Amino acid sequence: MRLNRRRGVLRTLAGICAMVPVGVFAGGVVGALGVVSAPASLAAQETRLLLISDDGTRDAVRRFLDAARVRGTPTEPLVSRALEGVAFRATPKEIERALAALEKRLKKSRELLGANSTVDELAAGADALAHGAPESALRDMRRIAPGRRLTVELGVLTELLAKDIAPKTAATMVLRLMARGASGTQLTELNAAVQKDVALGVKPVSALELRGRGVMSLLPPAGSVVTAQKR
Amino acid sequence: MNDERDEMIERAARVLRTPPQVRSGTVARVLMAVRARHARPASRWQRALWWVADTSISARGAAVLAAASLAIGFVARGTVATSEPIVVASGPSIELQPVADGDAAERPVPVALVFEQANARDVAVVGDFNGWDRAASPMVRAGTEGPWTATVLAKPGRHTYAFIVDGTTLVADPNAAKATSNDFRGDASVMIVRPD
Repeated sequence: MRLNRRRGVLRTLAGICAMVPVGVFAGGVVGALGVVSAPASLAAQETRLLLISDDGTRDAVRRFLDAARVRGTPTEPLVSRALEGVAFRATPKEIERALAALEKRLKKSRELLGANSTVDELAAGADALAHGAPESALRDMRRIAPGRRLTVELGVLTELLAKDIAPKTAATMVLRLMARGASGTQLTELNAAVQKDVALGVKPVSALELRGRGVMSLLPPAGSVVTAQKR
Repeated sequence: MNDERDEMIERAARVLRTPPQVRSGTVARVLMAVRARHARPASRWQRALWWVADTSISARGAAVLAAASLAIGFVARGTVATSEPIVVASGPSIELQPVADGDAAERPVPVALVFEQANARDVAVVGDFNGWDRAASPMVRAGTEGPWTATVLAKPGRHTYAFIVDGTTLVADPNAAKATSNDFRGDASVMIVRPD
């Protein structure tokens, strides 16, 4: 009886062993789909380029994207910028100039935010740099919140800079709030409040100081926040 | 007395007439074994297959077995797989970005946009969230006087957009901050979409 039971267990194990290669194969297929999705996204980008009606512009953009791909630059933000240029009826030269500048900033953004950053983060970092964000601010953001998506935080910093707030002042406020555990939503609300105040005639830097202190008062005291926060 | 004995013999015969229950596959195995005496001896693999085939499992058992095996396979593959970024073999290298867990911060959020221009015949929204495609997000209005509205899906973060009026004119959103793009001339607006 006991021998039979042992044999039954052994048979079950043998069956599992026989099926494991099937599981490995299925896992491999799913993994391969990830690889397949890369060329699929290239095809999707190519389709989007068809929105550019002018042949010369489209060819120039395509050439630039091919070269950027070889250099290892993420091309999605470049495609978006090219299409923005087309929407604004920019000349091929203007578009190429914009793409070259953006590629340079994307590279810098990756250097500061880290190679594991998402494409959206890199694009947001590049925009912040274009608006004068201090390079150290991007590095510090990643250091303060290594496991957090920084797209919103970088967007808020960019908008504060767009209101002509001094880069150091804007960056210090965003970093201080992040270090105290402010969420992306709180930072977005801060930006909206500053925007309203400025529209009412308050000086941007004063609005930021006032609203920043308001958000700060809602946060836990310094030192009680785990810095590797996730939203 | 004789009747009693007959009845007992009859009962014993009934029991003996009933064939013993054998497990499925056993008959086949016995037949194969008989044949094997006259043929070449079975290999180790053949014997292993017979051994496994001799087990009867229910449909539910088989399903559980298959699910467990697939799970082990997936786990084994994950353990064995390299943690290096996947690189497409031909052409330029493309790194697939690792995605952090639990991503509300990446999930597109519906954003309602409103634009008031009574004399417009046709309005659409273009922006980085829809690839600046004027056909992607047409705006609609209630009646002939109401505001134009559209709901777009945008990931959390900062987005640039504009309205296209009557298919030609790009107009910034009067209710939003102006985009201060250094690259192109023209009015656009900015919104910061917060995580869901």
